[in-house]
Amino acid sequence: MSIPADLKYTKEHEWVRIEGDVATVGISAHAQEALGDIVFVELPEIGRTLAVGDGCAVVESVKAVSDVYAPVAGEVIEANDELSGAPESINADPYGKGWILKVKVSALGDELMDAATYATFLEE
Amino acid sequence: MSESAEHLARTPLYEEHLALAGKMVPFAGFAMPVQYAKGALKEYTHVREGGAGIFDITHMGQVRVQGEEALDFLQYVTTNDVGKLVDGQVHYSALLDESGTFIDDITTYRISADHYYLCINASNRHKDVAHLQAQAKRFKAVVTDESDDTTLLALQGGAAQKLLQPLAGCDLETIGYYRFAITNLLGAPAIASRTGYTGEDGFELYLPNSAAVDVWRALVAAGAEPIGLAARDMLRTEMGYALYGHEISHEVTPVEAKLMWITKLDKGDFIGRSAVAARKEQGAQKGLVALKLTDRGIPREHYPVVSGGRVVGEVTSGMHSPMAGGVAIAYVEPALASEGELAIEIRGKAVPCERVKTPFVRSNVRR
Repeated sequence: MSIPADLKYTKEHEWVRIEGDVATVGISAHAQEALGDIVFVELPEIGRTLAVGDGCAVVESVKAVSDVYAPVAGEVIEANDELSGAPESINADPYGKGWILKVKVSALGDELMDAATYATFLEE
Repeated sequence: MSESAEHLARTPLYEEHLALAGKMVPFAGFAMPVQYAKGALKEYTHVREGGAGIFDITHMGQVRVQGEEALDFLQYVTTNDVGKLVDGQVHYSALLDESGTFIDDITTYRISADHYYLCINASNRHKDVAHLQAQAKRFKAVVTDESDDTTLLALQGGAAQKLLQPLAGCDLETIGYYRFAITNLLGAPAIASRTGYTGEDGFELYLPNSAAVDVWRALVAAGAEPIGLAARDMLRTEMGYALYGHEISHEVTPVEAKLMWITKLDKGDFIGRSAVAARKEQGAQKGLVALKLTDRGIPREHYPVVSGGRVVGEVTSGMHSPMAGGVAIAYVEPALASEGELAIEIRGKAVPCERVKTPFVRSNVRR
């Protein structure tokens, strides 16, 4: 299972890429695999202010509904509209085309894991 | 696999499912594949687009009914008119209790005038068998539960007959819709029935457990795509077919479930008849509607149906149809069954929908 080393992860299987004060958020390869074929993504409104742990998107597969929780606090500055027409991008490319939202970060979550810690977490 | 999974029954095809990367989940007391390696959407597409899908539905139960009064017995315990069946014909039917509500929905096969075969839902098996055996005491009829000895496969999709023919001991072309043949598959005794739950042409195949692996492997080798529960439910819901525990339950009668077409009030007495006749007179207590979202979203089972800011019903089956979008079957207040605005509440937001006819997508069964 792919776990890129340059990202941070949460226990709920979100990933975060932090570049300057912008965080890009998606769900991990493990998460998309567990959900199965993703058929719908509900994206957050631009400008919405998120606290760490807020539900910020919803990913639905054929059989399951899964909330995406904000791994960082801040303001939503972009959402991946491409997912509306191609939600399966999350399955095909969870760390690339399958990104879900970008946040202008005001604070990081306390419990973000690095790749090695997340890999261990998945094994447990 | 979780600890609870250890108590689950396994079909004779359990190892085949694992070998095909089936993701096993608990279902009606069995460990069954929810999907295989390619995923539910590809499985669904294969069946809808002219291929053939193979489904292990061995969890379902089978009951044999034999005896001089087998017909009288079945007329009394089932809703459809068994007297109309000819040898080699099957029909959809139901078992009701005295209050007219469902014990189960079933199919009834007529093998001969004094010999019938029933297919029942897995989750209702023990309840059904107890009910049937208790009722049979008043008739010269013997009820035998053959569920543990029987493997049931469904082979569904436009290519089903072509794939199955080389294995079959009869000309499948001679089997019409809702007809069956007692034949053999790879030499093993089998019932091949042109029935199914997908809206595609295809067969349901009843086999002794000893033949399950050989027949499964032969069909997979011939190009049948294994299909899990998730795609099966997509195919079923798109047809608007009722499912026990969803549209059918002990809380509704055939009047609510729109199953009066299998409930023959004029065939003579049967269990639940007077209650259903009374309900028909009073009118349905709930209205069954087929809904299509006019905005984006996926309706799911148990989501509230709302009208004018008020909850007026509940979704019983819902899905994202690759062809039709967000579709749902729901029970609503009777007054709203045919007119008035309806919306489905998805995560607190009322998503408007329109009433549509089922099937939600075109059926390709052979009529």
